[in-house]
Amino acid sequence: MELNRDNYQEKWRVRPDGYDKVTGSLKYLTDYTFPNMLYGKVLRSSYPHAKIKSIVTEEAEKLEGVKAVITYKDVPGMNRFGLIFPDQPVFCEDVVRYVGDAVAAVAAISEEISEKALSLIHLEYEPLEVMDSPEKSLSSSCISLHPSGNILHRASYKNSEQVLVELKNCPYVVEDTYETPRQMHAYMETEGGVVVPEEDGKVTVYAATQHGFKDRMQLARILSIPESKIRVVSSPIGGSFGGKDELNIQPYAALLALKTKLPVKLHNKRSESVRAGIKRHPMKMKMITGANKDGKLVGHYVRITADTGAYATLGPAVLDFAVEHAAGPYIIPYIDVEGVSVFTNNGVAGEYRGFGGNQVTFALETQIERLAELLKIDSIQFREKNLRKADDPGPLGQRIVKNDGAKSVLTMIKTSSVLMDQPKKHPNKLTGKGVAITMHGGGLGFGRPDPSGARLSLTKDGQIEIAFGFEEFGQGLIASIEIMLMEALNCSKEDIKIVIGDTDLVPSSGSSTASRSTNMIWNGIQKLKEPFIDKVLDLVADYTNTTRKLLYLGENGIWRKGKRNQFVLSYRELANFADLSHITFQTHFHFPTTPDPVIGGHYLYSFAAVAAAVEVDLLTGQVKVIKLDHAVAAGPVVNPLGYLGQIEGGAVMGLGFTLFEDSVMENGRYHTENFDSYLIPTIKDIPNETTVMVDESLMEGDVFGPRGVGEIGTVAIAPAITAAIHQACGIWVKKLPVSSEEILNALQEILPCKAGGASSG
Amino acid sequence: MAENVELKNRMDETKREVTFELNGEKVDLIVPPTYRLVDILRKDLNLTGTKISCEIGRCGACSVLINGQVVNSCLVMAYQLQNVKVETIESISKNSLHPIQQAFLEEGGLQCGYCTPGMIVALSDLLENNPDPTDEEVLEHLSGNLCRCTGYTGILRAIKNYKVKMVKKSTI
Repeated sequence: MELNRDNYQEKWRVRPDGYDKVTGSLKYLTDYTFPNMLYGKVLRSSYPHAKIKSIVTEEAEKLEGVKAVITYKDVPGMNRFGLIFPDQPVFCEDVVRYVGDAVAAVAAISEEISEKALSLIHLEYEPLEVMDSPEKSLSSSCISLHPSGNILHRASYKNSEQVLVELKNCPYVVEDTYETPRQMHAYMETEGGVVVPEEDGKVTVYAATQHGFKDRMQLARILSIPESKIRVVSSPIGGSFGGKDELNIQPYAALLALKTKLPVKLHNKRSESVRAGIKRHPMKMKMITGANKDGKLVGHYVRITADTGAYATLGPAVLDFAVEHAAGPYIIPYIDVEGVSVFTNNGVAGEYRGFGGNQVTFALETQIERLAELLKIDSIQFREKNLRKADDPGPLGQRIVKNDGAKSVLTMIKTSSVLMDQPKKHPNKLTGKGVAITMHGGGLGFGRPDPSGARLSLTKDGQIEIAFGFEEFGQGLIASIEIMLMEALNCSKEDIKIVIGDTDLVPSSGSSTASRSTNMIWNGIQKLKEPFIDKVLDLVADYTNTTRKLLYLGENGIWRKGKRNQFVLSYRELANFADLSHITFQTHFHFPTTPDPVIGGHYLYSFAAVAAAVEVDLLTGQVKVIKLDHAVAAGPVVNPLGYLGQIEGGAVMGLGFTLFEDSVMENGRYHTENFDSYLIPTIKDIPNETTVMVDESLMEGDVFGPRGVGEIGTVAIAPAITAAIHQACGIWVKKLPVSSEEILNALQEILPCKAGGASSG
Repeated sequence: MAENVELKNRMDETKREVTFELNGEKVDLIVPPTYRLVDILRKDLNLTGTKISCEIGRCGACSVLINGQVVNSCLVMAYQLQNVKVETIESISKNSLHPIQQAFLEEGGLQCGYCTPGMIVALSDLLENNPDPTDEEVLEHLSGNLCRCTGYTGILRAIKNYKVKMVKKSTI
């Protein structure tokens, strides 16, 4: 079914935070000011790799208006951060490992004075050899960036020792190496916020994150104060896409605030955000994929090298995810996948929408297209022959929830107008269309703590309060909560109060990441609704002396069924007489995991197929995506407008990954420090038409509810576009982003007639 | 207030008086001539609906109207403000939502919302002078406003919704 207003009617709803956003009245955390607030600035390393010989701060300290200058000596607790492996110094002591490394920070009465003070901090460095590629980091003469060496993580999946042998015997084999760029999240609001020391000795951190409790845990270690003394207020957020999952400015603003006993604001400039912030892992992926004469896939040999930059953050999990998804939704008898994530002096790579899936899906789906071409069969038919069936095991051989999404999305995408219609001819342009498909795991995976929680209660003002430890960074989480709770309790939006993004007020729900929040919200509400309704009806039945089974929750309060339904009591009246502690319910549960002990292996998967139509300009080599259609199978659609927004927005982010975006680095330094050189898609770069089709069904026995769709819309975009480019001009793109120059060069070589004909016509 | 302390202590520059109209009211300020409009709005006047993102005039998050035309307020300096008329997002829905704001809400023209005030300001400029713009005119006019969340598809849907409603209105 097409996802649009007509098909969803009353479920197509205005988001609760929308009004404040369109009027500009919503205060983001970087909009906050407090009396006597200071402005903080962080001094980042001048070198991608160097020894620190000395740090002299006296001159900066003497500047009028400066209230504090801090270095590693001022960190009372652990001078490290990192969500899983805390290996990144808050302030470097003796070595800097990338240009985003912090060496000192300043708080002053104005931003200008802070900036000036940074220039008065004198650092002496001794430059070290820069390891600006995994190859260099792995060479025998290299310096170890960390005590354990330059390999952050290895991951593998192999179901046979015979893979290369089997591949040798295949009549159809494609072997190549694919490369993907260092994509930047490019959220419009850069990292920032204010940290306020409170009178009671506590500290409040107003700064964006995807997981307030994890920030609190990390800050407690750094500041050496108990978690109970730290409050993290972390929503609303001006975009994140994974990029604000790890700590960024919080430790600096917090240390400065505690030292000065004044509120400190720190809001990264774009260039600071680029320099210090995490990116998508650039990956090099060698793939050898073979099929037999019947068009059945036989073997798939994959070697992945990921450039993880200077520090770990979630690099290991990203690599695990890439390895898991390297064979996609296909059944291949012989699989051998190995990956290595390597430390370098490049920018830190970490969590980013798609989480390693986008890279391997580009490589895999290109292999599939190329094999189909060798086999001289339609690539959709080739996929159908090799697609997983509903009860096949997961890509790591683990048991997964039965799902025929792979077949469903492929069936839906076949009806796309991209594939059905003939593209318009243009004298100077070549046109082509392409398809790609993917499956994507939700949640953190087996062996990783992935708990969630929720609280449902009645407030003293008679509001039904639902609380989650999730964050709103634009995805529409608040809207989804509102819709699901209204449906579960049959109440109106005016009856509901939603609390998120404040560690003092919410239960821990885990991170707003890994396409898990929607699923966990649905689960939480399912678990809480019955006890809540039961209790409310018990109390009201007693109080009003009404038969309990005639009562039900509704708009504004409790109603009684009858010939004409009657209003009995408002929620406010209920709050006035009831003991509210009896109407507070909490639940804690874990994200569903596979019963098979396969580390990182997922249990719930969603599926997507993409069809792209492109025009390749014969004169400039530029590629324009003119149509982009999607088919998604991710269970029921709870919030149609939110779901659609995730797919459409994810798609254009994927389009940027394919055609424009790369944080270009040379010798460990960024060439692209702002939107003048790092190009994200503008409104002129997007397809003229996009349709999203959805399959909402779950198979019998699937009790796991709606899956999240925050990532799936972005994963299979690149290979669909590059397949379309191939159809247009015969070129297989192996390195992203697509280079117009390469296309032009190739066009001149392989299409003299077409190019010549076009220019003369 | 911290802002006042900051004003007094601002770096050693010759400050100038500047007078302009902001959202219908006269504003008098004594500021360094190169102080940026976006800082005047956000820091000195606490009008934080105008956002800050790239600070080099590439993203449009800080869009405001000067004499009715959309500009990036990160590129406008105090000395350029003398006697001009500045309108920010705060003025656009002073009484009720602008129909384009309503359309954004109905069609998912926003997600994180950080680019939204700039988008609305830019569109209010376009639609004020041209209530029924062509697709080409819309794309051209918004090409300086970046959005990372929606992929612009919801924004285009909102503009379509707006145009349909305006046509209906004008035919009644």
